[in-house]
Amino acid sequence: MNGRIPIRVANKRAYVWDVDDLNRIRSDHRLCGLLVGTLPHLSQQNVFLGLPSQLTPEEATLLVEKEYAVFVDDANAYPEPSLSQFQQWSAEQKEYIKHQQAVLGAENTKAQELAQLAVSEEAIRKRKERELKRQQKAMELRKLQEMEGDPVAGSELPVPIPAVNAGPSTSPTSPSAHTQYNVCITTPSSALSWYSPDSCTYSTIEAAQEAGIWDFPSNLQDRARYGVFKDLWEQGYFLGGGIRFGGDYLVYPGDPLRYHSHFCATVIESQTHSIQPMEIVAHGRLGTATKKTHLFCGWDDERKTVSYLSIEWAGFG
Amino acid sequence: MDDNLELPNNDGPEIRVGDNLEEEDQSSGDEDEGPDWIKLMPKAARPVIPKRGDKEFEPSKQGGSGLQQHILQRARNAIKSISYGTWHPSLARVSVTVSRGISIGTVGHSVPRETAMTNGTVKTQKRMELLPEEAIYLIERGSLLCWKESAVEYPNDGTFESISGSPMTVQQAYTEMIGKEDLTMDRYQVYAYLKRLGYTVTRTKPPTAFYPLTAPFPPSLLTLTSSSSCNSKISALFSSYSFDWWRPLRIRRWLKMDKNYSFIFQSLRFIPSGHKVPQYSPTETQTPSSPYEPFFNLYKPPTPFKKSAPPPPDYQMVVVNARTTPMPSLRELTAIYDNAPELPPPQRRVRNPPQIQGISYKNLTGTGGSDTLAQSQTHNSNTPTWMSSPSMISLLPHGLTSWLYAKPTSSLQKVERRPNPFAVLRQGKKTAIIATVDAGTINIFRFAQGAFETGPWF
Repeated sequence: MNGRIPIRVANKRAYVWDVDDLNRIRSDHRLCGLLVGTLPHLSQQNVFLGLPSQLTPEEATLLVEKEYAVFVDDANAYPEPSLSQFQQWSAEQKEYIKHQQAVLGAENTKAQELAQLAVSEEAIRKRKERELKRQQKAMELRKLQEMEGDPVAGSELPVPIPAVNAGPSTSPTSPSAHTQYNVCITTPSSALSWYSPDSCTYSTIEAAQEAGIWDFPSNLQDRARYGVFKDLWEQGYFLGGGIRFGGDYLVYPGDPLRYHSHFCATVIESQTHSIQPMEIVAHGRLGTATKKTHLFCGWDDERKTVSYLSIEWAGFG
Repeated sequence: MDDNLELPNNDGPEIRVGDNLEEEDQSSGDEDEGPDWIKLMPKAARPVIPKRGDKEFEPSKQGGSGLQQHILQRARNAIKSISYGTWHPSLARVSVTVSRGISIGTVGHSVPRETAMTNGTVKTQKRMELLPEEAIYLIERGSLLCWKESAVEYPNDGTFESISGSPMTVQQAYTEMIGKEDLTMDRYQVYAYLKRLGYTVTRTKPPTAFYPLTAPFPPSLLTLTSSSSCNSKISALFSSYSFDWWRPLRIRRWLKMDKNYSFIFQSLRFIPSGHKVPQYSPTETQTPSSPYEPFFNLYKPPTPFKKSAPPPPDYQMVVVNARTTPMPSLRELTAIYDNAPELPPPQRRVRNPPQIQGISYKNLTGTGGSDTLAQSQTHNSNTPTWMSSPSMISLLPHGLTSWLYAKPTSSLQKVERRPNPFAVLRQGKKTAIIATVDAGTINIFRFAQGAFETGPWF
């Protein structure tokens, strides 16, 4: 069980809540998942989403079958924390808040010191002196130019010194006692000391199905989908969801972040399933229009093998 | 997206979050590229990558520290205020103990509960409760800190404003709250998607008696069931007090204004057509339960929403699972259309309207619209305000009414153009919005019930 990635199962759906697990699944096991959570920093948009990552049933089943991961029945993994565990958690939160206040407080004092310097009497006096000097220089230059006979473009009046109110400084010298801070809402439960997944971990699909927390694959359609998924995965491809391109899966030659998909795969349940000519045309046209090849994948439930047919739209003449 | 990456430069692309990014991602050529996560990272942490032509790059976002910082902690923004609540598994609700911030303003409903007071009596108090989907959304975006109710009294050392149980993580919220009160992961994902876009989302069917009932659609907008064709004309004459956009010609005959083509053509149409005519329906009374039922009521962001008395919704949305649910049958779609309001034909957009101060442009596009009558519905219909109060128009002929109320618009540029027939056909009379979810990917479709038998094409 060491090193196997925990897949949290809730309501028969598979989630990954820890970033490190996500990394391993993607880089070691060629499975991508889909981020579905709201990003708190950018909570009003739908393009960038955060944790959790939802794994499709095929991805989760594959990971457990190949013994890279285990299922955790998340609903039963939350005993009540003891008083000491709670106090420790509360103390950690307090530490975090104090740390924030210290950092923000230091920044505040620095900013206020600078602001104070700007309005202090010293600074005002110095500014006046600088202005006077600048104007004197400008007048001397003009006199020189007049003596040399250069035409002067209009007479420029010296810029009047802006009246600066050197009133008493009103900013307080000490930073405000009530600096705002962030309250941290933990995302993954593995950060909690009382979270106990060990008592409800299942390392095989059959065990999970018996316990009632997982039920994929359950019928011929599921078995066909899973069979095709596994076969393509074992050949080294990355697989993604195909609903945006009218198929069951998108087949990538490498990481989806790097490459465009080469194929769009449709799963056919059995070797004797009928395919309408209209379907062939529709899939072929759609694939070609999106620069992909459409793949019909036929599943043989008895021999547990997959056969492939690719379709491309080719015009004659 | 590749244009500004051709020459190497040290400042990264500017972050544009929102409409711009969504438009880019919708171009079909780039559709399976996915969003560029490097844009999210702070400039200091971004990798400096030399680019030449279309050489591929390997983003380090998988193990990128910027991304980890973003999604590891749910630290809320210091400017927002945080609320506190308690999750009650038996009730499937989160009761709010401390309510702060703007995001909690549009969610939740008030429920009277019996609470045991300290002196032994039981008193009924009203408290604000959240549905599971509302609670999860607020927790996710960092606006609510939720405790799970427990018999143990946990000590409060002042770190938090209120402690009412054991602390819940976001993971725990997902696990425990989804699955309760008819909330599936598909429905939650659609809910969160819509909330992130700014809509106010409530449930179409109230889960309990305490959930506020939505105001029904005004009767003038619901389909009138038709009578048989022989006395339809007579009844139509007398029922003209509710002005029907789709049949504006009924009174003409009475006023002897029938010497024109449109009236003659209409009178010649004796074959009943259209969706108002009842079809043959088989005798089976057992309609199998169908997932095609509106689940969410949507209100557009600018619509004023009052929690205790919600107005009629702007849209109603059906949520189905794309893997297991087939396309809707005609009967299922018709069932949705029957409960939907009838949409008036889309008016032409007024381009470069005259800049007149104090007059809202909504009245310009209506025929003789008056802004003196109070308007309660903020529905997405373009009905001029006076149509919803039938008593005002009772016996006045159409021509006279439009003259009476034309005063405010007489000084303005009168917009009396007929709506574009293709826009009318495309919008149809009734609308059904269906969201399909397949393991996280949401696609939203609009089905419209069209109208050919009446319309501005003759």
